[in-house]
Amino acid sequence: MAMTQGSILQVAAELANLAVVRHFVEEMATGLKFDCSVIDDMLQAVEEAVANTILHGYHRRPGEIQVEVQREGSGLVVRLRDQAPHFDPTGFPPPDLTLPLEERRPGGLGIYLMRQFTDTVTYRVTSDGSNELTLVKKQPVI
Amino acid sequence: MNISVNQVQGRVPVAILGVQGDLDATNYQELIAKATEVYRAGARDILVDLGQTSFVSSSGLVALHSIAVILKGEQPPNSEEGWSAIHAVGRGLGSGAQQHIKLLNPQPKVERVMEKAGLKELFEIYTDLAAAVASF
Repeated sequence: MAMTQGSILQVAAELANLAVVRHFVEEMATGLKFDCSVIDDMLQAVEEAVANTILHGYHRRPGEIQVEVQREGSGLVVRLRDQAPHFDPTGFPPPDLTLPLEERRPGGLGIYLMRQFTDTVTYRVTSDGSNELTLVKKQPVI
Repeated sequence: MNISVNQVQGRVPVAILGVQGDLDATNYQELIAKATEVYRAGARDILVDLGQTSFVSSSGLVALHSIAVILKGEQPPNSEEGWSAIHAVGRGLGSGAQQHIKLLNPQPKVERVMEKAGLKELFEIYTDLAAAVASF
């Protein structure tokens, strides 16, 4: 079940809700007047982050994910909060794409794409002990 | 997501898997299952039509790589392991574009995901169905 309150969506941490989260972010970002290219990139990043939380954070066990979408200056900002065990994806080293596939270090494809499609990704533990991942994609200046 | 299957005859028979909708973590295993099904039915060359695929996540990339493995007659890796899966898929595939799985009409944003993941060079991409079929 999904609940929205203003710019915040709360959903069960289930793969079936990935599309719900994408649609929410798309609708909010469109309302905030961001370009399609900015929104598309953010949707890609959010997808990877949320799927990672469901599969590797909660390990498909029951949980909640909160999604908040805001404009901060020229930036589309999405904050994802969950109560899975603490994990800082920003500390995960990027793969070396110059290496052949079989020599690349395993793990982290979703995290890598999440970072590729955003300008900044920051992580913190909130005062109530939740993981909070903040994704920012800036509107290009023309 | 819906997956359509069509068989066309070029120099060799080609199975066309048309993916309509979003290809993400909820459904990418359906694409792997469908590819397995057509492989077991005799298909050895697969063209994945992405013309109506609106979104592809990293899971979708894993699915495309898994199809390459299936076409080699091997068991695809655990598809929930991201790079690990693609790492395993890469093993034995050799370098350069795959000869038995090719892509038709991916939308620019889908191509961009492949490019950013550093995987685009593994797939020949066509914008014309006849040319794609004739390439096998």
